[in-house]
Amino acid sequence: MIADKLTSLVQDSTDVEYDARGYNKHHVAPADTLLQVAEVFQSEDFYLEMITCQDRRETDTVFRLVYQFTRLKSPQRHIIHTDIAPDAVPSSIVSLFPSADWYEREIFDMYGISFDGHPDLKRILMDEDYTGYPLLKDFVDPPTPYRSEEDADG
Amino acid sequence: MQMDSRFQVEQDAENRNTYYLNMGPQHPSTHGVLRIRLHLEGETILSAEPIIGYGHRAHEKMAENRDYLQFLPNPSRVDYLAGMIYNIGYCQAIERMLGIEVPERAEYIRIMGNELNRISSHLLWLGTFLMDLGAFTPFLYVFDDREKILDILDRITGSRLTYCYGRFGGVTLDVNDEFLTCVSNFCTYFSDRMKMFEDLVIGNVIFRERSIGVGIFSQDLVNQYAISGPCLRAMGHANDVRKDEPYGIYDRFDFDVPTRTEADCFARSLVRMDEMRQSVRIIQQAVSDIPDGPFIAAKVPKRIRPPEGDYYFCVESPRGSFGMYIVSDGSDIPYRHKLRTPSFSNLSAMPAVMAGTLLADTVAILGSIDIVVPEIDR
Repeated sequence: MIADKLTSLVQDSTDVEYDARGYNKHHVAPADTLLQVAEVFQSEDFYLEMITCQDRRETDTVFRLVYQFTRLKSPQRHIIHTDIAPDAVPSSIVSLFPSADWYEREIFDMYGISFDGHPDLKRILMDEDYTGYPLLKDFVDPPTPYRSEEDADG
Repeated sequence: MQMDSRFQVEQDAENRNTYYLNMGPQHPSTHGVLRIRLHLEGETILSAEPIIGYGHRAHEKMAENRDYLQFLPNPSRVDYLAGMIYNIGYCQAIERMLGIEVPERAEYIRIMGNELNRISSHLLWLGTFLMDLGAFTPFLYVFDDREKILDILDRITGSRLTYCYGRFGGVTLDVNDEFLTCVSNFCTYFSDRMKMFEDLVIGNVIFRERSIGVGIFSQDLVNQYAISGPCLRAMGHANDVRKDEPYGIYDRFDFDVPTRTEADCFARSLVRMDEMRQSVRIIQQAVSDIPDGPFIAAKVPKRIRPPEGDYYFCVESPRGSFGMYIVSDGSDIPYRHKLRTPSFSNLSAMPAVMAGTLLADTVAILGSIDIVVPEIDR
């Protein structure tokens, strides 16, 4: 059973009311067991639905990584919260779930968080020479640089 | 004019026999601004790297800067081919967060809107996919039918593509009997047209040659890349959010989830063709069962302030499972609103399929996955 395997790895597991929240289980996992947690889900035939992040530096001085796993047969959605310090480098789970590749790149792109063990961590949605991390709460859009007509003609 | 070196054919520095070729970002068969960097040896693809983000419009950032109601026009812009499904999906998410009861009539109107939208999206896929494969005529036929759907939806929503028809607790405007007649006439008409499409397309030798056995998704990819939608069903998995995690009143309708097991371009095409038939079935049931009554809930809170916490709601879009992960901090602005789009996941699996195929198959594989690029870029 998935719950037994997770007990030693996560700090807190709660059942969630599916009708109101749209998912079944909520876990809080420390960053250092992240890979093991992902392994448990992989061994139980779950797949990675998404990874995302929340910028909680103002209130809790952390970034919160959010992983969601579910499975094809009788869907059961698990959401995992992992709080990391703003300068921490969490481990990548690309080796277990290749779909994490693009999600981790997106988090790097939008929040500036690096992942340890990611094969090719680079921007995905923003241009490669863009500076700044747009989804940070304190993000200020840099003004568009002036381009002369000569530049535009290239 | 000096062309940006990134967009030119590049000689591979290490191996003189291979080279890099950019498909896109302005290639017509990428259906939007998608760039694929292909590593080729002659005509054989060694690896493919999709480069996305050309259409990034910061929808997630926008969501964090406005309240729930102000975000209402955005979801339909995320995927403009399934605007109704996204718009109504967003309304349903907010309703479940707040526990708003939706009147019966509104639920039936939503089902009709959703399924008509699904047919129009699949029709556009059919036309453009075949055009990518060199068949121009079907494109004209499907656009004729698609235009009929857009006209029907235009009657109630006032827009052709980017609908903003749903409201928290119901829909903007009621439908009348004339509309219902239009819808049921369309269903009858379209069932006949489906027969013609199948004769024209599915039996066509050139189409079969170009699609059978091309772009086979191996079973490992399902769990590795979270594939959903028709791509998943063409691999033999009868998974559909409408059946697995019913939302709205989908659990009341009698419809099948079409599946195939071949997992190639042809199987994906057949699944979509069958899905259009199933959508017609759902619409016909909705037209005959629609009750009278209000079309929007009488009491909807003016200020939307969902209880604190995380929410994840998904709907079945024509391309797969579209999820909205919303974090509320109790205020009327979401703290985080992540859009989990099916094209993003399905496209991320593409490089695994492409290796070893031929350059000409790229358009067939890409077309059969049915991506909508703005949905990937968000």
